[in-house]
Amino acid sequence: MSVKRTAKPVAVNPLTIGPSLGGVLAVQGCYRATALLHGAQGCSAFSKSLLTRHFREPIAVQTSALQEMDVIFDADRNLEEALNTVIAKHRPDLITVIGTELTDVSGTDYTACVKKYIRERAPRECLIVPVTLPDFGGGSLETGYSAVVEGIIDAVIQGQSGKPPGKPLTGQVNLLPGPCLTPGDVMELREILGDFGFEVITLPDLSTSLSGHLLTGFSPLTRGGVPLDALKQMLRSRYTIAMGASMERPARRLQHAAGIPYKVIHGMHGLAAADELISFLQQLSGIPVPLRYRWQRENLLDSMLDAHFHYAGVSAVVALEPDHAQSMTAWLGEMGVKIKALVAPCETPLLKEAEQEVWIGDLDDAETLGWGADLWISNGHGRKGARRMKSAFMAAGFPVVDELGSYMSVSVGYRGAMDLVNRAGNLLIRRKEDRHEDRFHQ
Amino acid sequence: MEATSKIPAHDTNCLNLYPKSQACPRPKPGESAGGCAFDGAQITLLPIADAAHLVHGPAACIANSWESRGSLSSGPRLSDYGFGTALSERDIIFGAEGKLAAGIDYIAERFAPPAIFVYATCVTALIGEDLDAVCGEATSRLGLPVIPVNSPGFIGSKNLGNRLAGEALMQYVIGRSELDDTLPPSGVNLLGEYNIAGEMWEIEKLMNRAGLSIRSRITGDGRFKEIGRAHRARVNMVVCSRALLGLAKRMEQSYGIPFFEGSFYGAKETSYSLRQMAYLLNDRDTELKVDRLVEREEARVAEELKPYRRLFKGKKAVLYTGGVKSWSVISALNELGISVVGVGTNKSTAEDVGRIVDRIGENAEFIAEGGAKRILKAVKDRKADMIIAGGRNMYVSLKERIPFVDINQERHTAYAGYDGLLRLAEQIRHALQHPVWKLAERAAPWEEAGEAYER
Repeated sequence: MSVKRTAKPVAVNPLTIGPSLGGVLAVQGCYRATALLHGAQGCSAFSKSLLTRHFREPIAVQTSALQEMDVIFDADRNLEEALNTVIAKHRPDLITVIGTELTDVSGTDYTACVKKYIRERAPRECLIVPVTLPDFGGGSLETGYSAVVEGIIDAVIQGQSGKPPGKPLTGQVNLLPGPCLTPGDVMELREILGDFGFEVITLPDLSTSLSGHLLTGFSPLTRGGVPLDALKQMLRSRYTIAMGASMERPARRLQHAAGIPYKVIHGMHGLAAADELISFLQQLSGIPVPLRYRWQRENLLDSMLDAHFHYAGVSAVVALEPDHAQSMTAWLGEMGVKIKALVAPCETPLLKEAEQEVWIGDLDDAETLGWGADLWISNGHGRKGARRMKSAFMAAGFPVVDELGSYMSVSVGYRGAMDLVNRAGNLLIRRKEDRHEDRFHQ
Repeated sequence: MEATSKIPAHDTNCLNLYPKSQACPRPKPGESAGGCAFDGAQITLLPIADAAHLVHGPAACIANSWESRGSLSSGPRLSDYGFGTALSERDIIFGAEGKLAAGIDYIAERFAPPAIFVYATCVTALIGEDLDAVCGEATSRLGLPVIPVNSPGFIGSKNLGNRLAGEALMQYVIGRSELDDTLPPSGVNLLGEYNIAGEMWEIEKLMNRAGLSIRSRITGDGRFKEIGRAHRARVNMVVCSRALLGLAKRMEQSYGIPFFEGSFYGAKETSYSLRQMAYLLNDRDTELKVDRLVEREEARVAEELKPYRRLFKGKKAVLYTGGVKSWSVISALNELGISVVGVGTNKSTAEDVGRIVDRIGENAEFIAEGGAKRILKAVKDRKADMIIAGGRNMYVSLKERIPFVDINQERHTAYAGYDGLLRLAEQIRHALQHPVWKLAERAAPWEEAGEAYER
């Protein structure tokens, strides 16, 4: 319907996550890789600590450790030194150099610096990707994540330098999962695609890097994710599936470079979204829908019927990254939940076209606009606000540091939708009980 | 600590009150860890629970750091709120001082805090925002202390940020809320105790039992007004934080308050700290009271620790944590009968290292840098049974199936004081004896014995 903003001179309880952190997250889904944040030490330390606490895994990120004088005189020197050190010590397959607000404001042209470095000094087997993030244009986690995925795809295409990538593989598809999908979600999606007979190349593949491995021997590089060789094979795929509107740009890159058609799946949550995905896969593969999905769909519908009583008259406030918010809202619509307020940290083309009224704001806006809602869905920072207005709190998105295993929760596909229906339903049941209890004791 | 020692200590002249010409060591690009000065300033000031904390800078600075610390408040919760000016491109080009002023007004009107701390960030420092001027004007316009904290990330390490936050307290807070001047100064200030997992409360209970009272909490569970009266204390105790040592020295110069460095980790350190307070208060009565309390508590703890000491006999630990905590936690571990065979000195000053050596000798492995990799090596070389470190290294340790105890600011258990020592013992017992370790050693049924986990 429309995108609105509240008039506040300061952000109160921010919903935004730095785009550079989103970029670091995307890098975690590539094998033997590291992100290199070009900024002050804190830029990487904050990202590292937040990601570590959410995923409960070590995170691969380094810093160019800029200090005042470096910024004034020559930030490039630090970057070169950092690249030298990381390459000499760890021999990574992929380094993504991500700019920060600090480098953007000081105006150092680190993209040129990295290009020069690649030309003159970088070892062949290491792919170095400079990514400039849309700085103060009001980006968030999603923006940085998709920019890094796009940057990596670009670099892979350029590495091909015009050579044809080899014979197309009809059984192979590319999967570009958006940042709102957990490692558990990505795993589920890969399984679904596999059941339709596809070989899948996933970028980034968090399901093999941040899902909880037990590899010993410490390495500062990522221990899982999509390997560089597989990335090069992406250009031979038959199709690209982009999960979330933010992944359309990287998908389009592949189309331009290698003529690979793509499909953007906007909905990731709920029955209709799963239907869309499954029917698309059926068309693409030409094989009938496997029995297990027929069963799962029936199970889902049954649990929606079981649960719908508890969703009667329920209103919700949703504060999530744009794609996530949009998809979650669609699912809530399926359950008959009235949206009291929909808040996103930044504006995207998707949100402009949304039927629902969208507010660009922070968690304080969510609290004010959604006051009195029964259900609050946001990242873990929303918990206190939800408590203040006594709504049921369902954690989703990033970061959620005070719950175990949230990074493995599954909400895509029929099975994920069923889990979502039950999870939120249970919260609503508990809330009702608590309210009775309160009334009784007063 | 003589310069001839083979144990590496970091040159931390930058922690001294009057820095010499030598600069802080420059962090090495590509292999640095640890936070920035902005992070450090927040660690020191955010525990002031009733104040508003406004970050003047890009969205990421506040967004990525918000709600990440375990400092608890017993009352006001305003410091839980994350405030940021979230600069846009336009702000960068045209300057954001107007926006900042409007933000300050907004917070003052809506939340009516006793004070607002305004934090500079790299970007605002770079574009030359005059925080002092904006805050000064706001202070007179609103009749409310609006305090600039000039500690942008790129000027240095977390430690420097701690210290600069101390400077801000000295310059703008301490001595600003007057007590009735006819009353004599009284009580003890605790500097650098951040009430992680409620440790401040633990300490306060203990002090009260000995007839000692806290004048100001700097800054765990702190209140703005209360910190303003810190100059009317009779003793300063610097708790486990070299960074606020500068503040203690400044207060000694300006207000003549004697200070000492101490810790509450371990029974001996706790007793020493309490005795030191009583001694500096120069009050015979209190000293006697403290003596009695200390004797009673130490006897009780020694008795209750017996089963743990039997259990921990021969156990070895590698300790990797911030500068001061290294030596203070070592004392606690010694009392539990656990020998420390490796210790991180990455943030320790020569003085800290000296104290570590006093406690464990020079035979332990001293890990000056290298992080996780070196910690694991130390564990292997010395056949240690556990790692005691900060959350940063937790998951590395677990993947190696090494029992782990979290000692840093994100933890949920209070280890300060006598009861804290018992809690630490219980935590370590839990970490060592948990059934999951047995299961983790066992191979999966389809794996040959011995082949397990050799991937």
